[in-house]
Amino acid sequence: MAEIVAALLTSHAPLITGKPEVSKPEQRDRLYGGFHELRRRLAAARPDLIVMFVNDHIQNFPYSNMPAFCVGLAEAYDAPSPGGSRLMRIAPRKVRGASEWGRALLESGLAAGFDFAYSYEIESWDELSVPLHFLNPEGNIPVAPVYTNCAAPPLPTPRRCHEVGAFVGTFGRSRPATERIALLATGGISHWVGTPETGRINPDFDHRVLDHVTRGDSEPLIRLTHAEIERDGGNGGQEIRNWIALLGAVPGWKGEVLAYEPVAEWITGCATVWVHP
Amino acid sequence: MIRTSYVLNKILTALARQHTMKDKLTDDELVGHDLSDAERAALKAGDITGLYHLGANPYLIRRVFRSRFPI
Repeated sequence: MAEIVAALLTSHAPLITGKPEVSKPEQRDRLYGGFHELRRRLAAARPDLIVMFVNDHIQNFPYSNMPAFCVGLAEAYDAPSPGGSRLMRIAPRKVRGASEWGRALLESGLAAGFDFAYSYEIESWDELSVPLHFLNPEGNIPVAPVYTNCAAPPLPTPRRCHEVGAFVGTFGRSRPATERIALLATGGISHWVGTPETGRINPDFDHRVLDHVTRGDSEPLIRLTHAEIERDGGNGGQEIRNWIALLGAVPGWKGEVLAYEPVAEWITGCATVWVHP
Repeated sequence: MIRTSYVLNKILTALARQHTMKDKLTDDELVGHDLSDAERAALKAGDITGLYHLGANPYLIRRVFRSRFPI
C-alpha cells in the first residue's frame, strides 16, 4: 500500500504574501514560522506528490458551470498567474501537476459513486499560490488538486466533503506501495471577504475549529450547517470544507497547531497545522 | 438561501478573470446585459454593499471593486 506521509492544514489569503508589511511583525513572524516548520517537516517526509484540498474563487468555475467537486488534471498550474502575481507579490510560475494521479482518482471516484467534475486548465488564485510559495518553493513536488465549491452557494455539505476526503484517502492508500503521498488542505479559518462585514475575524470560532482538529474529532465540524459557518466564520469560513475533507482522509489523526494568528490586516484568521497519525 | 444574481456575477466574473479592478462601471461596459435598474445603478456607483444585497458574489465584489474597501 502507498503511504500518506504528511497531512497539513493552512489558511490562504492573498495578503499573506501580498502585503506582509502591513501586518504586526510578531504576528507575521509567528505565522511565517509556522509555514517554515511545515515546510521543514514536509521536506523530511519526502512526498512524491501533494494532494491538495482547495477551492476556487470564481477564477475558474463560473456561474454558468459550477462543479461541487472537481479534480485537476492539468499538466501544470499557474501558481500564481502573471495577473495574480501582482496582488500576491509572488513571481508568476507553473507548478507541475500530478495529472496521471488525478486521472486515476477521477476514474476510481466515478466508479465508486463520487461524481467528480474535472478540469485540464486551472489558474490558481491564493488557494495554491500562497501556501505553495512557502511549502513547495522550488515547485518540484507535483500537485493533484481536488477543488470543492466553498465560494458560490449552495455548497456541498461538510458531511459530503468529509466523505469525499475519506474516499481520496482510501484511494491514495490503494496506490502502488512505493508512493509517498502528502495531503494539504488550504482555506479558512474565519474571514469575511467582500461582504458588508469585510475585515471581521472571529477568533472564538477559529479556536473551536482548531480544538476539534487537535482532538482529531471531525464530527462537530461535519455537523456544522452552512448558516452556522456563515454566522460564526463568515463566507471565507466556508473554506473549512477543505480541512474537513482532509480530516476525512486521515481518520483519527490529530492536529498540532504550529501557529494561529487573527491577522486583521490580512482580514483572516490564519493557521498552520501539522496533522499527526 | 443566499441571493444570487446571475447577470451581476457574469459581468464581475469576466472582469475578475482579466484581473481588472474598477472603481465603478460605465454604461458602455454594461451594454447587452439584462440588468434591473437597481443592479445597473449599483454597478455604476461601485456600491459594494448594494451589490452584495442584490446577489453579487462577495469574492467577485472584492476582486473587482478592491479600491472601495477600506481594508
